[in-house]
Amino acid sequence: MPNNYFNTLPLREQLEQLAKCRFMDISEFPEGVEALKGKKMVVIGCGAQGLAQGMNLRDSGCDVSYTLRQAAIDEKRQSWKNATENGFTVGTYEELIPTADVVLNLTPDKQHTAVVKAIMPLMKQDACLSYSHGFNIVEEGMKIREDLTVIMVAPKCPGSEVRNEYVRGFGVPTLIAVHEDNDPKGEGLALAKAYAVGTGGHKAGVLMSSFIAEVKSDLMGEQTILCGMLQTGSLLCFDKMVEEGVDAGYASKLVQFGWETVTEALKYGGVTNMLDRLSNPAKIKCFDLSEELKQIMRPLYNKHQDDIINGTFSRTMMEDWANDDVNLLGWRAETAETAFEKTPAGDVEISEQEFFDNGILMVAMVKAGVELAFETMTAAGIIADSAYYESLHETPLIANTIARKKLYEMNATISDTAEYGCYLYNHACLPLLADFMKDIKTDVIGRGLNVEDNGVDNGRLIEVNEALRSHPVEAIGSVLRGHMADMKKIV
Amino acid sequence: MTHCSTIRLDNLAVNFDDRFQLTDINWQIEPQQHWVITGTNGAGKSALAAILAGVINNGAECLSGTVEGLPARVGLVSFEAQAALIDAELKKDDADIMDVISEGTPVREILYEDCQDTELAEQLIEKFGLELLLDRSFRKLSTGESRKVMLIRALASKPDLLVLDEPFDGLDTKTLGMLQQHLATLIDTVPMVMVLNRFDEFPDFITDIAYVEKGTLQHQVRRDDARAYAELYQLLHLKTTDLTIPTADSENAIPSLDPEQPLVRLNNITIKYDEKKVISDLNWTINPNQHWQLSGPNGSGKTGLLSLITGDHPQCYVNDIFVFGFKRGSGESIWQIKQFIGYVSTALQWEYRVGTSIRNVIISGFYDSIGLYSKSTDAQKGIADQWLALLGMANRADQPFNKLSYGDQRLLLIARAMVKHPPLLILDEPCLGLDGMNRQLVLALIEKICAGSETSVIYVNHHPEDQIKGIDNYLAL
Repeated sequence: MPNNYFNTLPLREQLEQLAKCRFMDISEFPEGVEALKGKKMVVIGCGAQGLAQGMNLRDSGCDVSYTLRQAAIDEKRQSWKNATENGFTVGTYEELIPTADVVLNLTPDKQHTAVVKAIMPLMKQDACLSYSHGFNIVEEGMKIREDLTVIMVAPKCPGSEVRNEYVRGFGVPTLIAVHEDNDPKGEGLALAKAYAVGTGGHKAGVLMSSFIAEVKSDLMGEQTILCGMLQTGSLLCFDKMVEEGVDAGYASKLVQFGWETVTEALKYGGVTNMLDRLSNPAKIKCFDLSEELKQIMRPLYNKHQDDIINGTFSRTMMEDWANDDVNLLGWRAETAETAFEKTPAGDVEISEQEFFDNGILMVAMVKAGVELAFETMTAAGIIADSAYYESLHETPLIANTIARKKLYEMNATISDTAEYGCYLYNHACLPLLADFMKDIKTDVIGRGLNVEDNGVDNGRLIEVNEALRSHPVEAIGSVLRGHMADMKKIV
Repeated sequence: MTHCSTIRLDNLAVNFDDRFQLTDINWQIEPQQHWVITGTNGAGKSALAAILAGVINNGAECLSGTVEGLPARVGLVSFEAQAALIDAELKKDDADIMDVISEGTPVREILYEDCQDTELAEQLIEKFGLELLLDRSFRKLSTGESRKVMLIRALASKPDLLVLDEPFDGLDTKTLGMLQQHLATLIDTVPMVMVLNRFDEFPDFITDIAYVEKGTLQHQVRRDDARAYAELYQLLHLKTTDLTIPTADSENAIPSLDPEQPLVRLNNITIKYDEKKVISDLNWTINPNQHWQLSGPNGSGKTGLLSLITGDHPQCYVNDIFVFGFKRGSGESIWQIKQFIGYVSTALQWEYRVGTSIRNVIISGFYDSIGLYSKSTDAQKGIADQWLALLGMANRADQPFNKLSYGDQRLLLIARAMVKHPPLLILDEPCLGLDGMNRQLVLALIEKICAGSETSVIYVNHHPEDQIKGIDNYLAL
């Protein structure tokens, strides 16, 4: 088993690395792609993310080609087609890696060790190796040759959006980092910045972080609030509605599109705005439910964060990799067989407001998940900015995938590590919430509150509003959304 | 009570002295309707009005078709009729071979020549302030005064149909108000057809609008059809205003190009998908100030070819392409290429699904972006507002783009493409999917662009009727 890099560091350095994250201003990119001019960039892997980044970089004036394994070329696999049809030079590792000044490793995490071992001996002296996820370095402890510069450039969106936003003249928020153990010439940051410019990321906002902060926060966010909570919530809410006699087609639709609708409100104005969409009695009810949920689930969030920080999570997952993904594939099949997954959304009209009014429990779950993930991450030493991006900010992106094709689409879109973590969370969380769900009725999921009027106690409403607005995720959220609004689409 | 029955013009073609023809006129005027005929100068508005006044067999020749239901008594006011009267008066003068000064026919005589309602005539004479002019010679009146005489003559003749060709021209504000008030009292008695150029002069009682262009009746719009009415307004606005294209943004000018170099040079171009060649071995050079029309059947690769030029087609990197001084694939970015190009296509419109304001859509042309992601300057806002005024959308600058009609969106995207005065403007079937009126709007705008600027145009279209003046190079795929 490989050595966990994070665990080799002294605590002081662990904390320093975890706390790295700074939102960069667009004025910090005056050099554009200059640092990459005249350099040969070779991309390993030509899936959606690899193709999108390569096309953007080429359109920004960079010299980009693709390297694939011999078999992928011989069999003319999809990755080979993607690259050749788009007019890129394609060659084997042996042909292209020795010519590369920058190698972009855009293969799935699971392949990193094998890929990096294969290419490292072929790489030019003093070249640069770039990742878009730090798992291989941080969790697997991959040692990179000392003369090589190691950077990370991670667009925080799926490949299709990375390309589409670039074509429109914009970009997607992007995280960059330099692996300080591998920055022999001190040029890592300049290369990472130029790369972010080449993909258009600088227009949408760049976060300067560290490999460690990226990995530890990314893993935590994706397996708890982003994927795990939405999966568990989908199953529980759907089954409860059906059990209580709500039409299955309606229940399926309310859940499938509900996450997207309520988290859209989250995207614009945080947890506060999401709850402000509810009537006053519903808001108070939702707040109480989420407080209860937080109390029940806090140990689970702590456990996930602890396992991520101390390396238990990555170790068990890598054991499954070594065991032909038995767990992952079994869980994936299990998800496909759930009643929610198998019941198509009914042909019923649900208005935007109705998703809130009849989905109070779903709103409570999102609130509880976002706040718990944020609280747990910051308690573990991750800076609030990172914690915000890996919890609240990305929730609507994942919710969109469920709206498209339910849990199957979500799990197909996210990374293998996210999918594995999501199932772990789901298996622990379902039994944890069993008692809680016994008391749940259709007033909070499926039919909406049955109240005579919308009257509430003033004192209680003030308390609830105060609690919502003073949560630390709201404070950092308003700052970061402010930054984003400056750079983002003027819409 | 009106004495007018339905007037029907069916498939009518009329020859006016071999100078002008009206063709394909199909028009029905119901007794309760009041029409405005509108259109550009020389479109045939007055000719159409003249048909209602009985010009056929009385100066014009019917080539084909029929006119039914024309009433016997038509009150006509027009410059032509006025000119004819004055002409007749002058002839009388010429005919006088004796050495005496001819006074000509006095106004009183002209006024009462055809009068059916003396009381009304006297009232109107007083209202229009003509009492002191009654004994003067008609031909000595000013244009405005003789216009008033014509009006009174027509109104007092108890007509079954009033045909008023630009009746408000040359009237002072006070008289104009009086006339409009008087006309409003007639709406239940006599149907009216007016030729008017300015929308703001359309009286409230008008029920229908006929739009004439190139000698045919092209659009008939009901006043209460708000959308069609607004489109017609825009069309007329574009056609009749003395359009000047707003200037480019002088603070952020496009770099100048070497005038000796071609804008585009494509050398032995091939586009292939799955080994299937859509275009092979094509050469094309576009020099500055050339306008091109590109045609070809569906699937012949027109859009693919254009996107090699714009840089949107990934195979631009595996072809020998020289654009705006750059050899493609030599380290240039697509934004360096796009700054020289304005581009409009149906696909662009599909992609342009953003909730931004229509002003921002125009400004986005300075940045070649879909949506606006940069802080625009005051100068750019000012230019965008000039474009909006030109399009007749000045009062809608802050409306969201995605809520506009398809035709309005297309017009805005053309303005977006033009806003920076690009050296090359690519219009890929700019009229596709547009109805007749919007099509004309678009063509009117493009003609203005082709006529007076430094821009070379590549125009792709299928429809022979959508020709654009000034395009004289052709490439067929």
